[in-house]
Amino acid sequence: MQTSSSPPELGSFRTEFIRGVKASLPLLIAFIPFGLLLGSQAVQQGFSALEVPLLTGLNFAGGSEFAAVGLWSIPPAIMLLASVTFLINSRHILMGAALTPYLRHLPRWKVCILLFFLCDEVWALTLTDLQSRTNKRFSPGFYIGITVCLYLCWVIFTFIGARTGNLLGDLTRYGIDMAFPAVFIMLLKGMWRGARNAMPWAMSLVVAVLAYRLIPGAWYVPLGTLAGIGMTFLVVGKEQEEA
Amino acid sequence: MTIHLSAFIAILAMAFVTYLTRISGYFLLAGRSLSPRATAIMDLIPGCVLVAVLAPSFAAGRPAELLGLVATMLAATRFSLLPTMLCGIIVTGICRALLG
Repeated sequence: MQTSSSPPELGSFRTEFIRGVKASLPLLIAFIPFGLLLGSQAVQQGFSALEVPLLTGLNFAGGSEFAAVGLWSIPPAIMLLASVTFLINSRHILMGAALTPYLRHLPRWKVCILLFFLCDEVWALTLTDLQSRTNKRFSPGFYIGITVCLYLCWVIFTFIGARTGNLLGDLTRYGIDMAFPAVFIMLLKGMWRGARNAMPWAMSLVVAVLAYRLIPGAWYVPLGTLAGIGMTFLVVGKEQEEA
Repeated sequence: MTIHLSAFIAILAMAFVTYLTRISGYFLLAGRSLSPRATAIMDLIPGCVLVAVLAPSFAAGRPAELLGLVATMLAATRFSLLPTMLCGIIVTGICRALLG
């Protein structure tokens, strides 16, 4: 058992939970229209209304769900769906790895439950929060607050979309889809450590853009990431020689 | 309002694969202490993942989206998340209406 004297920077679970809910509220601007869109598209592709929240509740990774809806058939091609899901979600491996140093003090079973809900936005908000605080201590309340808000919203609105069709129409035409890049760009800003350390990011971007244009499917995510990681080894190696 | 067996199995398969991606990073690294160089490398990797995921917005090459991205990046240097998102959404929406 942990003997946890809560550090001064973190409030009680309740305050941290509320802080998490508040931090995630801006994201609902994007989660609600995208949830309705996914639900209505899924039904058009042959999902039953109950299968939609089953998918979004068990999988909870929007990118792979849009891909699955696009590839859906009756009966579904299970191997194809599983492979595409892996390609798109392989980024979670690195996201989980990036959080691991902050999770060491938690028992494994708790981490296994918390990580079930690790999506891009939960990860982004959690890591930004960790990096903004001096003691870099993981706050379960904050994480769970974000998670509850985003998870419930996603499952509920994909289900509503499946039952009623897309009530809002295609809001992505109006720019709502820029909400996700905005979250990522904010996170990159928090990670900024000078131009030299951003070179791997540039490399990752260039390779991912090329892969996206040249190779069909979701290969651009792992290919771009791997190229960036390769560059990371060069940048960090150099830095240490100079030091 | 039914759930078909084949759909159920497909959904379970996806959920299983997704959960594996979520926990494997943790199990690969938990219980290991990283060298300073490894830590420095680990610090830069999340950014690589993020920009790779963002690539389609850049790659599509539609002027409205690129302008929206530039506006979002400029806003991000000054503002917090919500105003940055609103800036990006509004500029992208206006550009799409004007540029098609």
